[in-house]
Amino acid sequence: MNASARASVPTFKLMLGIVRFAPWRYAGNAILWTLVWVMPVIPGLISKEFFDGLTGEASVSFGVDTLIAFMAAYGLGRVALVAVAMLNDVYFRFRVGSLLRRNMIGRILSLPGARAVPDSPGEAISRFRDEVEHVEEAVDLTVDMVGTVAFSTVAVVVLASINAQITLFVFAPLVLVILIAERAGTRIRIYRQAAREATGRVTGAIGEMFGSVQSIKVGGAEHHMIGNFRVLNEARRKVMVRDRVLNSILESVFWNTVNIGTAIILVLAAGAMQSSGSGAEFTVGDFALFVYFLTFATDAVHFVGIFIARFRQAGVAFERMAELLQGAPPETLVVPRDLELRGAWSAVAPPPDRGTLQSLEVKGLSYTYPGSDTGIEKVDLQVARGSFTVVTGRIGSGKTTLLRALLGLLKPDTGEVRWNGRIVDDAASFFVPPRTAYTPQIPRLFSMSLKDNLLMGLERSDDEVAAAIASAVMEPDLAAMAEGLDTKVGPLGVRLSGGQVQRTAAARMFIRRPELYVFDDLSSALDVETENTLWERLFADHQVVTSLVVSHRRPALRRADQIIVMNEGRIEAVGTLSELLVTSEELRRLWSEEPGEDNGANSVPV
Amino acid sequence: MIPVRQYWNLLVDYLRPHKLRVVLLAVLLLTGIAFQLINPQIVRSFIDQAIEGAGQASLVRLALTFAALAVGHQALSVVATYLAENIGWAATNELRGELAEHCLRLDMGFHKTRTPGEMIERIDGDVTALSNFFGQFVIHVVGNLVLLVGILGLLFRENLLVGFGISIFAIAALLAMVGIQNVALPWWKRVRQRSAEFYGFLGEQLGGTEDIRSNGATGFFLRRFTEHLRAWLPDAVRGFMGWAVLWSTNIIVFAVGTALVYWIGSRLFGDGSLTIGSVYLVFTYTELLRQPLDRIRHQMEDLQKAGAGISRVEDLLALSSRLELNGNQQLRPGPLSVEFDAVTFAYQDGDEEIGEVVLDEVSFRVAPGRVVGVLGRTGSGKSTLARLLTRLYDPIHGRVLLGGVAARVAKTDDLRRRVGMVTQDVQLFRASVRDNLTFFDPDASNEAIMEVLVDLGLADWVSSLPDGLDTQLESGSGGLSAGEAQLLAFTRIFLKDPGLVILDEASSRLDPATEQLIERAVDKLLTNRTGIIIAHRLATVTRADDVLILDEGRVVEFGERVALAADPGSRFSRFLLVGLEEMLA
Repeated sequence: MNASARASVPTFKLMLGIVRFAPWRYAGNAILWTLVWVMPVIPGLISKEFFDGLTGEASVSFGVDTLIAFMAAYGLGRVALVAVAMLNDVYFRFRVGSLLRRNMIGRILSLPGARAVPDSPGEAISRFRDEVEHVEEAVDLTVDMVGTVAFSTVAVVVLASINAQITLFVFAPLVLVILIAERAGTRIRIYRQAAREATGRVTGAIGEMFGSVQSIKVGGAEHHMIGNFRVLNEARRKVMVRDRVLNSILESVFWNTVNIGTAIILVLAAGAMQSSGSGAEFTVGDFALFVYFLTFATDAVHFVGIFIARFRQAGVAFERMAELLQGAPPETLVVPRDLELRGAWSAVAPPPDRGTLQSLEVKGLSYTYPGSDTGIEKVDLQVARGSFTVVTGRIGSGKTTLLRALLGLLKPDTGEVRWNGRIVDDAASFFVPPRTAYTPQIPRLFSMSLKDNLLMGLERSDDEVAAAIASAVMEPDLAAMAEGLDTKVGPLGVRLSGGQVQRTAAARMFIRRPELYVFDDLSSALDVETENTLWERLFADHQVVTSLVVSHRRPALRRADQIIVMNEGRIEAVGTLSELLVTSEELRRLWSEEPGEDNGANSVPV
Repeated sequence: MIPVRQYWNLLVDYLRPHKLRVVLLAVLLLTGIAFQLINPQIVRSFIDQAIEGAGQASLVRLALTFAALAVGHQALSVVATYLAENIGWAATNELRGELAEHCLRLDMGFHKTRTPGEMIERIDGDVTALSNFFGQFVIHVVGNLVLLVGILGLLFRENLLVGFGISIFAIAALLAMVGIQNVALPWWKRVRQRSAEFYGFLGEQLGGTEDIRSNGATGFFLRRFTEHLRAWLPDAVRGFMGWAVLWSTNIIVFAVGTALVYWIGSRLFGDGSLTIGSVYLVFTYTELLRQPLDRIRHQMEDLQKAGAGISRVEDLLALSSRLELNGNQQLRPGPLSVEFDAVTFAYQDGDEEIGEVVLDEVSFRVAPGRVVGVLGRTGSGKSTLARLLTRLYDPIHGRVLLGGVAARVAKTDDLRRRVGMVTQDVQLFRASVRDNLTFFDPDASNEAIMEVLVDLGLADWVSSLPDGLDTQLESGSGGLSAGEAQLLAFTRIFLKDPGLVILDEASSRLDPATEQLIERAVDKLLTNRTGIIIAHRLATVTRADDVLILDEGRVVEFGERVALAADPGSRFSRFLLVGLEEMLA
């Protein structure tokens, strides 16, 4: 999405929202960090006393031992303060980060499931991680900002009381530095962005190369591929060097501010330090104090620059997070809630009432994929209790889209869905177990035990679990797993085959005993025989089964009470198999491409 | 231990071409350090002369020298950054290129067990870590060590007691800081691991929203989300406190250092061993120690991490392909005969044991210019056949011959040029159509490409793209339909003008218009070439002269198509009766 398409986001308001969410922690941070930042004034003053003591110009004469004791006290005091401030800070940051993340995931899980994340999940994760961190950091920096400004103020007041003229000459150039930093900020961002893009192209090229290593080898193209890779690397070197050098220049500018400031102090002090003995206008102690404070004050200015940059970055971060909300106002990000980071859990909302299915009606359902003209158009259909409805059609005819739009996994453009005659308003929340359950074409399992994957929080007896597994023709696979239902699946555990995943998903659906079973094309990973067994068991194990199924296989079509033939997003024909074989050419075509006689379904002639 | 030697061995070859610049960089860095060391001396002279009442002109001159040296030091450091970054990136890019090429040429057994994501990490991630390590090590560790030694040496020159006192302090400080850091390291590691776990979980959740929503598991997953946060919090607190402890050590160390300067300074000033300017000098140098001590401490962590990266890069470079790629026999021009002579094959992934036998004593011969349709269910060995012909693997026993030359002794580049293969799954690169067609061959002329496109009947299709051959494709499917991607793959092969074409037919159904284009392209492609078609549909088999049926790695039927179809006892004729999809499910 380009910048102009982004909704403008009220950065300041959102940051305020964050502060309001954890006001006490924030206030604690403000006080503690200000103290932490102002404290270094003390060693500066102690050192001044030390040098003035040596040259005999001290206003109050402390012994060296006393000064050493002061230093020790300062060290211990600041350490204690840092510990408390850090502790407060980590809780503040964690709560802020958790709130943003929790609000985002909450919104995502309330959106139509098939398009809940605008780009890829990987891209969304970077928003959950990096953008949240940017915001945490920016909010945190407001406090540090206050601290460093407080330090600088104290420093300037102290120095001005010693020698107002030198103070003015030394600190005025700092303002200039702020301006330079501000100017350079834009350029830094442009360079940084270019560096990121160049890196992206390099890593992208590696990914592509090793993702298609077979075709590269077969094409004998290793040499040319590497040639291209080297070109990308070279381009990256150039932008990287540019980025780093610019940074180094800025860094130098800051340090030179200190250096040239020190030189100015030297020049100005040259006259003032002359008259030695008591009554000198500018003592060695003063000099030490000026140089010491100057370093800190420059740091503070540096900090202002960083803060301005981070504040802007936070604005971008909020925008990028708000994009994940897909339509909800950006304020949703900071809506306060109980994070439940400790203590008892609140009850999980119970599943909705079952409400026996009598009929499901769809009228004029349309959905078009954004930025394309594909989708479904004005689809009408009815599913009666106890019926087996098969949706069929060639690839791209809109079968999956129909199921998703019906279930609210895509938000339909127009059309209505009635459950037992009543219009369903929020389909995505309505079509859940025990009303309906759905197995997508490529189901997803999660990195947890097989049992957790089946139940996903549901409470069911072992017998019920076993029954669902049997219905899904999963029991031989399960028997082969050493840890049975406790087997961990996913990248960190056992990798299941496509067929096993699909049958696990089917079992996940069966265990919910929904009123309406919705399957999207089991054929992509199950062979005909297994698919057929699954249908047989489904009907044998349940008294009344209502199901809506995408399939192009003969056993399913033959079993159907009603077949819906889709073509280019529209319903082309509806009827039973015998009717449609006469009336629908499209169905005849699909039928003829499928395997032959029934004996073929059970035995393979090889 | 810090693997400096290993690191050096690895990089020295890549640094050699930049020898002059490396020397220049060293000179710059050392000069910069010298400037840094000289400046406090100037301030000392300034203070002493001011107190003694020297002339204004002399004082101003000192002040200006100070400014000049300071600015000079900063300017040097910018130039040094420029040099170091250039050397670093040029050298490591060379390493990246070689590493990538090395890996790309490794056998398929290596690639099967590695994801592209892992390769990104190992080729770019590890090398970048090395490059950071290089920059850090030279500029920060070595530079700061020189600075540290320089400061201490100058303090000794000032006064023995001062030298000993501050040296002991510096060593104690460094030990304390590194010690404390080592206490905190496992805490930080734990936080990183926690967050990796959390984002792993989140990634699955974001990828599975459809399953979560439609199965009513929203509440369950929100609970798990919070469970992850609950587990993360105490570790986050410990991680933060690790930083607090480290920072505190720093505060204490420098409070102690300053106190030490007060104590020694006042004593030596009292007995006249040091001037007031010299006390200030000691004070400044002690402050100046902060930077090297802190940086060296900081680098210890990175240095330890870099060790792992080095050994990973070395491991990768040490691997060699299981295939011997030094054959030198040329294949004859024109259509190639294909012969399998008692070929037995099993896959072997990475370092694993040899797996199940996939091809078992397979023998057959195809005359030049014939087209063979290969049938068999999933796992029967069809794809393996193709992989042996393109020499992605070598058989365990037996020989694969192309035009009478054994694949093992054929020149690999020549073999790959003379054998073309189109797989179901066409991978596209994020690049122009042209680069996708030529695999980034800069020498391929547009005319040659257009000629092939016209020949295949694709000229209209290409000119319908927004920028013709220069149209940029996205990676993966490239924003093209499966059919279009296949057409692209055909063109790739046609450009090579091979003597043997292997087609793994797409199993999904395409729209009629594309299907027609593909039919035509296949016709063209098979004219006057030997063809091996792995068929998924009966319609495709009708194109074949011969039919080969594989089952569990064995040839169960091989013969002329027409003859087999006429023989009611043949498996092929039963196929025709029953349909194909059945056995391919």
